[in-house]
Amino acid sequence: MTDPASNLLPATNEDTCGPYFPIFFADPGLEDLTKFDPGVVGQAAGTSLVLRGRVLDRHGELANGVVMEFWQANANGVYRTPATEGHADIDPWFHGYGRLRSATGAYEFRTILPGAAEGRAPNITITIFSDGINRVVTQMFFDNQPGNEADPLLLAVGDDAPKLIARHDGRTSSGAEVYVFDIVMAGDGETPFFDDLES
Amino acid sequence: MGNQGRILAIGPTDNTSDQRTPRQRLRLIPEEARSSFVPVVPARYATTPHEWDMTRTAPDRPRADGVPIEVTGRVRTASGRPVAGALLEVWSANHYGRYRHIEDHSGLQLDENHLGLGRVLTDDEGCYRFWAISPGAYLARPDIGRWRPKHIHMSLSGGSSRLITQMYFPGEPNNATDPMAILMGDAFERNIGRPREVGTADVVQAFDFDIVVGGRNATFFE
Ligand SMILES: [Fe+2]
Repeated sequence: MTDPASNLLPATNEDTCGPYFPIFFADPGLEDLTKFDPGVVGQAAGTSLVLRGRVLDRHGELANGVVMEFWQANANGVYRTPATEGHADIDPWFHGYGRLRSATGAYEFRTILPGAAEGRAPNITITIFSDGINRVVTQMFFDNQPGNEADPLLLAVGDDAPKLIARHDGRTSSGAEVYVFDIVMAGDGETPFFDDLES
Repeated sequence: MGNQGRILAIGPTDNTSDQRTPRQRLRLIPEEARSSFVPVVPARYATTPHEWDMTRTAPDRPRADGVPIEVTGRVRTASGRPVAGALLEVWSANHYGRYRHIEDHSGLQLDENHLGLGRVLTDDEGCYRFWAISPGAYLARPDIGRWRPKHIHMSLSGGSSRLITQMYFPGEPNNATDPMAILMGDAFERNIGRPREVGTADVVQAFDFDIVVGGRNATFFE
């Protein structure tokens, strides 16, 4: 048998994005997924929410200059991918990909509550780029959602599951539900991160 | 496929790497959750027509100081498929090693003709091209005298392909001591631009930098 890996081109190494990811590349349309684009009539379906939190380093200090990317299903639990093109439950006003850069390490991202995809609890995949590290990924859940207790990813992390669950802040902001989710990059209370190369 | 996740290495002499690199072994993603870890970047991005030329801030402005270079390359997945219509975001320091970024407090010389920011799209074959000023090396750790070698930052987003990397230059004295280059080991060679014949009088040096986006994510929807 031939090893299929031998036919693959050697990948370019990922590298750190460094401290100066350009603020110039910001796209406001990717920092608030509830609206489509400024001035356009078009609103994502679902419960609006504000996700707030901090990215912290090993010493509990804010990790400045982080780039965060978000990926989620729409309110119907459907991801917008080539595989779901033309799917009846696609929301034309929602693509599910967000990106922001936080100068301080504290972040705020506006989106809608994702629906539950088949066999999953509602979740948002978060990718982090920052100085000193290459891309790392995790996934965030919402407290008190039916399905959390049976979600395969939460089950896989066992006792660390609470570190992946955003808590409702008990308030709303301009009609949006506020959730809080801190990410600890390293050390005490470290957030579980996942390996999408070996998995 | 491995049966356990990787432990990420820490870049030697890199304080931020020490502060921010997860210490726990990365967790494996259960098969039922695997597809949810494949973001698809919507092709909603745009560039302005002059952004491919980073050697000046605008078409009606003079050239920045330093050596103008051309960088070209082809972006493919590990299985060889061109990554077409992808966004390549490029940023680099000026000739003096200074970024025109509000958080660069190095005090190195700014150049009023240098922005160091550009966005280009890959064509149907996955090919891209831009001009830039050959960036200066800069002292990243004055306390221990460690420099960052000349490099150009690149961020590639297209469909399920996502990569942030840096292009380095051949024969640079600081390549060997760069923390991330050390972690790459022999594979560092892949991140070095290959000098090639200059095809235009408008630049002094030209480099090919082909990019291969690895991992299952890049090819998920092929
Ligand atoms: Fe840099």
